[in-house]
Amino acid sequence: MSDSLAALLTALADDELIIGHRHSEWTGFAPHIEEDVAFSSIAQDEIGHAAAYYTRLSQLGHASDADRLALGKDTVDYRNAIICERPNGDWSYTLARHWLYDAADSVRLEALESSADHELAALATKMRREERYHLLHADTWMKRVAAGPVEGRTLLITSLGSAFAESAGLFEPIVEEEAAIEAGWLPAPSHELRARFLARTAESLEDWGLPAEVHAGLDRSAEFVASSSGDLIAGRDRPGKDSPVASHGALGGRRGHHSEDFKSLWDDMTSTYRSNPGAAW
Amino acid sequence: MTTTTGSVTGAVWAALAGVADPEIPTVSVVDMGMIKKVDVAGSTARITILPTFTGCPAVPIIKEDVERAVSSLEEIEAAIVDFSFEPPWTSDRITEEGRSKLAAFGLAPPTGKGPVLITDIGLPKVAICPFCASKNTSIDNPFGPTPCRSLYYCNACRNPFEQFKPV
Repeated sequence: MSDSLAALLTALADDELIIGHRHSEWTGFAPHIEEDVAFSSIAQDEIGHAAAYYTRLSQLGHASDADRLALGKDTVDYRNAIICERPNGDWSYTLARHWLYDAADSVRLEALESSADHELAALATKMRREERYHLLHADTWMKRVAAGPVEGRTLLITSLGSAFAESAGLFEPIVEEEAAIEAGWLPAPSHELRARFLARTAESLEDWGLPAEVHAGLDRSAEFVASSSGDLIAGRDRPGKDSPVASHGALGGRRGHHSEDFKSLWDDMTSTYRSNPGAAW
Repeated sequence: MTTTTGSVTGAVWAALAGVADPEIPTVSVVDMGMIKKVDVAGSTARITILPTFTGCPAVPIIKEDVERAVSSLEEIEAAIVDFSFEPPWTSDRITEEGRSKLAAFGLAPPTGKGPVLITDIGLPKVAICPFCASKNTSIDNPFGPTPCRSLYYCNACRNPFEQFKPV
């Protein structure tokens, strides 16, 4: 099978699995019951989408089954963007990341509807219709908090700054991106998708009366580190192309470099699978 | 061999009409418009199913139920179930009968005719209470107990109810 198609599917699947896992951590803990239901349901959708991507990978002869692709691998084998693995932090960071992730995912799915891999194109078409509800949910919250009391609005703006910087990781080119574009698996390069994402999110920020400056974090993504508390801290480990120490920046996820936060997520997420690999639950 | 392939195909469809949606037991997979096609070759039936939602956890149960129901037919020895996302399952695929059964179950059927345009996907502005038919309803949560449902409240008969998401 094509390695570049496998690389693309792995990045898509790992993003969905890890963001889904983070969303699922709100189950039982969200600020109120309706959001508990909402984040649990969104998590279920995202993890279901991951399962569909992993299933496509296994159909292509990449591994025996979806569970193994999702849970039977080491941390360095995950290709999710680092933004997906960041701890949920407070509610403002949760919302900021939810909005940016789903805005990015919608841009990506729209492009993938014309993928040369027919199965992937069909999946993208289906998922995009479902993801619409996630975006509506995120938009509703953004609008409400943007127009709400100053404390919440201020927290949201701070979190948007860090989440925007981290969102660069979602558009970090996948391994073998040129081959994936050449073959038509990925219909548009990551930098072009990122430009669409920036244009769309800029429009929303303006509509909601949020400062365009939160976008600024993006260009400094390599130099700045977003902590889970939502503060921007000057980064020590600027990710280079072959740097093994890219773990604290926004970039590196597509090459298997992850943040410290990822280890505990991975421990928790895979513990059941590791207790009896291959078992049907 | 006394039966023709055509009538065996009919028998398979009839068997499918008896397979309930595991999460909405009053409607069948046929009512839900989930059956893309049925191919019968000799004593093998191949059934292609469109999942309603990609992440629907009921999918493996549906597969087992369909295999069991179809392979129990006298004319069928092997039932093979495939899943497809093409075309995407859209809520307009639910049959008229399916819609009445959903309402009887207390789940308001999706409104509108024809597949919803992607830009129009969203919850209905006015949801109709499946218990008292009132339009005096309000949304509690766009998300619900399964990926395909949202939560509403009827201000007239004071019942909470679920609305199937248009998709």
